[in-house]
Amino acid sequence: MKPRSIIFLLCALFSVELHAQFGPENGLKASEPSYILLQNATLVVKPGEILESTDLLIQEGKIIKIGKQLKQAGAIELDYAGKVIVPSFIELYSDVGLEPLKYQGNGWRPQMESNKEGAYYWNEAVHPELVAAAAYQYQPTKVDQLQQAGFGFALTHYTDGIVRGSGALVSLGATSIHKQIIKAKAAQYFSFEKGGSQQSYPSSQMGSIALLRQAFYDLKFYKENSQKLGHSQSLSEWSNIETAPAFFKTTDKWEILRAEKIAKEFKIPFIYVGSGNEYAISQELKDINANLVLPLNFPEAFDVKDPYLASQIALSELKHWELAPANAAVLANAQIPFSLTTQGLKNPDLFWTNLRKAIQRGLTPDQALAALTTIPAQWLGISNQIGTLEYGKLASFSVYNGNPFTHEATLLESWNQGEQKIWKTPNVAQIIGTYAIRFEDQLYNLQISGTPERPQGKVWIIKGGDSLHTKANIILTQQDIAIQFLSLGQQHQQLIQLHGKVLKNGAVFEGEGTNEQGSWIRWSAIQNKKTELPALTALKQDTLHKKVVWYPNMAFGNQSILKAETLLFKNATVWTNEKEGILVGADVLVQDGKIVKVSRQSINAPAGARIIDAKGMHLTSGIIDEHSHIAISKGVNEGGQAITAEVSIADVVNPDDIDIYRQLAGGVTAAQLLHGSANPIGGQSALIKLKWGQTPDEMLIDNAPKFIKFALGENVKQANWGDFNTVRFPQTRMGVEQVFYDGFYRARAYQDEWTAYRSGMLKVAPRVDLELEVLAEILRSERFITCHSYIQSEINMLMHVADSMGFRVNTFTHILEGYKVADKMKAHGVAGSTFSDWWAYKFEVNDAIPYNAALMQQQGVLVCINSDDAEMGRRLNQEAAKAIKYGGMTEEEAWKLVTLNPAKILHLDQRMGSIKAGKDADLVLWTANPLSIQARSAMTIIEGVVYYEEELQEKKLVSIQNERNRILALMLASNELGEPSKIPQKKVKKHFHCDTLGEEADAQENSH
Amino acid sequence: MTRLVKKRMRKKIPINMKQLLLLCFLSWSIITSAQRILLLNGTAHIGDGQVIESAAIGVVNDRIDFVKNALTQTFDPTKWDTIIQLKGQHVYPALVSANNTLGLTEIDAVRATRDFNDVGVWNPHVRAQIAFNVESRVVETVRTNGVLISQATPRGGYISGTSALMNLAGWNWEDATIVANDGIHLNWPYSKESYQKEKQEIYRFFEMAKAYAERKDQQPNDLRMEAIKACFNGQKRVYIHAESLQQIVDVIEFAKKFELAFPVIVGGTEAYLIGPKLKDSKIPIMLGRIHSLPQHEDDLTYQPYRLPSLLKAQGILFCLQNEGDMQPMNTRNLPFQAGTTMAYGLTEEEALQTISLNVCKIVGIDQDYGTLSAGKKATFFVSKGPALEMKTNQVTLILIDGKFCTTSNFQQELYQKYQDKYKQ
Repeated sequence: MKPRSIIFLLCALFSVELHAQFGPENGLKASEPSYILLQNATLVVKPGEILESTDLLIQEGKIIKIGKQLKQAGAIELDYAGKVIVPSFIELYSDVGLEPLKYQGNGWRPQMESNKEGAYYWNEAVHPELVAAAAYQYQPTKVDQLQQAGFGFALTHYTDGIVRGSGALVSLGATSIHKQIIKAKAAQYFSFEKGGSQQSYPSSQMGSIALLRQAFYDLKFYKENSQKLGHSQSLSEWSNIETAPAFFKTTDKWEILRAEKIAKEFKIPFIYVGSGNEYAISQELKDINANLVLPLNFPEAFDVKDPYLASQIALSELKHWELAPANAAVLANAQIPFSLTTQGLKNPDLFWTNLRKAIQRGLTPDQALAALTTIPAQWLGISNQIGTLEYGKLASFSVYNGNPFTHEATLLESWNQGEQKIWKTPNVAQIIGTYAIRFEDQLYNLQISGTPERPQGKVWIIKGGDSLHTKANIILTQQDIAIQFLSLGQQHQQLIQLHGKVLKNGAVFEGEGTNEQGSWIRWSAIQNKKTELPALTALKQDTLHKKVVWYPNMAFGNQSILKAETLLFKNATVWTNEKEGILVGADVLVQDGKIVKVSRQSINAPAGARIIDAKGMHLTSGIIDEHSHIAISKGVNEGGQAITAEVSIADVVNPDDIDIYRQLAGGVTAAQLLHGSANPIGGQSALIKLKWGQTPDEMLIDNAPKFIKFALGENVKQANWGDFNTVRFPQTRMGVEQVFYDGFYRARAYQDEWTAYRSGMLKVAPRVDLELEVLAEILRSERFITCHSYIQSEINMLMHVADSMGFRVNTFTHILEGYKVADKMKAHGVAGSTFSDWWAYKFEVNDAIPYNAALMQQQGVLVCINSDDAEMGRRLNQEAAKAIKYGGMTEEEAWKLVTLNPAKILHLDQRMGSIKAGKDADLVLWTANPLSIQARSAMTIIEGVVYYEEELQEKKLVSIQNERNRILALMLASNELGEPSKIPQKKVKKHFHCDTLGEEADAQENSH
Repeated sequence: MTRLVKKRMRKKIPINMKQLLLLCFLSWSIITSAQRILLLNGTAHIGDGQVIESAAIGVVNDRIDFVKNALTQTFDPTKWDTIIQLKGQHVYPALVSANNTLGLTEIDAVRATRDFNDVGVWNPHVRAQIAFNVESRVVETVRTNGVLISQATPRGGYISGTSALMNLAGWNWEDATIVANDGIHLNWPYSKESYQKEKQEIYRFFEMAKAYAERKDQQPNDLRMEAIKACFNGQKRVYIHAESLQQIVDVIEFAKKFELAFPVIVGGTEAYLIGPKLKDSKIPIMLGRIHSLPQHEDDLTYQPYRLPSLLKAQGILFCLQNEGDMQPMNTRNLPFQAGTTMAYGLTEEEALQTISLNVCKIVGIDQDYGTLSAGKKATFFVSKGPALEMKTNQVTLILIDGKFCTTSNFQQELYQKYQDKYKQ
């Protein structure tokens, strides 16, 4: 809508308690409240109820009566025939009226502690004390934008940080300051986004998760023991709003499932502000009974006119472009309650454009209306005040020239608590047609086309049998018309300007103007042909776009979720990894996800079994990558502090990573997703199986042993991170040792305190400390350490720390100088998980040798080979083969380096790592000896599900290309309609490495 | 060492492999050449597709005298200074690593050891040859897997500098040099925002360079322009680093416009899409690292592995190179990158060519290197088993220009040292 909208305040007449309540008035007291009666309107009362030709009576800003032909003495009567009245919408996610928060920061240097002065929470991203109502200021431009989109109410808050404080429900159009805020602390807000805080911690999503959980524990503790902590403004204010509706802002569908775990843990029902791709997990959202606030910021089309550039777009992006407008419809079909928000829209004008797109894609008008009115009102517990056009509710509504949910109707007015704001008065005169203009002795023909709002004119005369014509500028303002054109008569090209009144509904114009000479003249025009304007365009259902979701919704996704099969491998060369060794010509039967039988004798196929002729092929157990960083969302390192035991990769598993599929193609079936090596005590691991197309929870291995990442050396002392990174302790190997001792001493004390409490010696429960909880698990040998390590001194040191604290280090990973202290490792009982041959990437790997694995093994250390790299992860069979070259391992020993040994190291060997009846059917069928350079995975199977099949790849590629081309054709059509578009950029797959900091992976040089 | 070897050589006593290995192991890296060496009964992978199961390879001074089928010949042992029995072993021409920073950097993370990227974007005049560190410890570990020649190549800017072809057994850069200034390296722009503008800058620069090259009767006064001059008369190649379809099409046009004598495309991920056009242009490709992830999410998981067979099918001359993360140390895996292509459509001998003969052709040293052929330099190695397989690549003998070279490296020495420690 144009900013030139007329703001027509009738407040003197209609508004009730203008400035009246609390203060003295300057001048005379305003008049007593009056009635306003809107007559003959179409009322969209609420979802499912529309009343035609009905009157609406307003008093004191409220609706007091609805009915046919109402009468009220003393009422201002307004004719609303032909107009449609819709209850004002409620925006649940907004920062209207608030200035952005400011943070001090430390410039380029890391900020370890809070810079905020006062009794506030220790982390600047947690600021529950902020009260939006206290800072709300009327911002006319933003308010107008929201009102023009149909909103009358907005829940506004500081859209920044993890715990954001309370939001205020404001009435957008109200002019009285006391009417602007409907409910002061109407809601509380959360997210995983750190926002503007410059504090180092948290720097990853898992850090945000841990911080939020810790804050909830702190809140609980504070309420129970405030005297112990002293006053906290943050926690005190938070406890006041604890029961307010809680909104949780997300940036991806999986974040909803992550936040839901917190919701369950602390029994706080979150309403999730979505990101637009929720359609892909509608079943999971239904399962958790999610309430959602959905954005309408659909992705722009790419400009696909250049096929070279179009080829750079990934199918995942194309599919999201196609599906995003159907998000609401898909969720509505799944009967998931949702509201809609303007959040994220580039331009508020897009609200209706996109809402109508959503309706065209299957969202019903009633569902749309409910999402914007009754549902948010209900969530906020103010259904008695707003959301419908019913008795007693606030007189807040929008007026359209038609039903905006079914037609391309235009907003005419917004009413807020009885105050009217007129945006547009439609030109009703029917001026579209042809006219004969006469003045002095001249006759011009005039044709007006277009619409009364944007009329276009053409004038012509017939002269000597020829027709001469020119363009005319026409402006119509209600009943006034102005026409300008250049003369076509004797005096050519002179300006003629006419101004007049529109009479008889456009049949006649009459007025004054200036002729070619500039003299004032009288003129008139008579309509000789009228063009009837078409009615408002009705929305049509879109049948071109599909709603096909793949699992995951990208290239190589499956069209349905895969099922376990009964599989019988015949005549395979079976690498059992058991005492039977390699069986030639054996059969293996898989049922219900398990290996059922391994036999040299022929096994009979059970009914329904898929029989695979594996003659000449090699069947092995799946590869297990002990050290991987694939499939992780938003940060592999929580480097914000030296100890971050509280964070867990298991919280941020990302199933939409194409590298999962690529690893499957390389025969990998399970992996330990490790925290990075940015700090001495990193985060907890996720042990997953690479179940492509499944949810994070399904990928996580059930009852997996607990692991945590430790790290030593150059990364933790930030040696290669630039000269400004010299603030965080430790910066030397000396400091690293002290960090460990300090952590474990604190954990021991913490554990003792809880033991005392549990035995009744302490009356009050100690504060829950998520970091120390985890360190205490290590002390109790309930959690295993995988420690990033390079040089012998530090390896030795950590074993000493562990010995003195009474636990054992489970694994040294990288361990490139393990060969120098293999005897000590053996004595300590620690395993080594190493690279086959990497070195020379930093100073501490100067003495790394490819014989490391062999030499450690020769000394009796349990050894495996890992990838730490998305690319190498899919060639671990080749990496294992290098142990034959470097150190002369036997083939069977070498093969165990990537299968049975990592299973043992991860304490998963009861279920995985060998081919034996009863174990998980995690299998790979290889085209050749798996240690040969010629070997390819023909099939990769996890728990009986065939996740990768080489034979199908070309077929899959064809279906990917077909799907691409189908959507590209739709996109091209969108381009041709002139819809907004952006230049294609190749989706760059970035990879996490051990030392990747922050939430974004980098595509640059890697170090480990 | 070498007294023992010399003594034996004088006495013309055949040396068996075990002894030779031991000698090489104990010695410094380069062992004085025997003048006439006969290698018998190894499987010779000639490098042009042929294999001689039981070959006799004669080396005289720095060149190969003959490669014959040993079963159909008889040899007079007295005519040879050294006779080496290679029964069951495999002989390969030198593997050649194109487009490599090996020798120009030692430890990636230590700035003081990084010598491959200088200030400025137009650096045709900076020369890799003189910065090549023959004593790099990384070089030792590369050589022992069969890679004996490397194209030392600078990085960065639009024109990174001038590369050089170096053997990996020099005492200093002078005697390691095979070709001092083989070509300049031009990084074709890729930015979507400023692509046309950057392309124009490159055109302008080459227009200036061409004009300069055509000027007569002048003293050299512009080092940059002097460094490019030879690109127009065919004495230097122009290696143009380009990956995408758009870039490659534009590079073909660019090479034509400036009548470059030897343009080469380095990278060429999407070259397979325009095979016929590329073939017409006669521009060869130095294909990017095989062991890398697909460029696009939508690509087949094994797309990088199958690129060589896609190019082969279209008759395009190509070789492999290994630019990327941790390139110097990863050079020792070059044979295995070639090996991986065997699982995706190339034969063993074709795979070998992608890292030997084809590289030599593309960089222009195939008259001396690239195959086991009479008249070529005696630069080759012997492996216990097939060298493109991890589990069988065991290099037992290295000859570089007719000189024996150690088959050990400091990593093997450390291995030995700690094995000994645990025996105590």
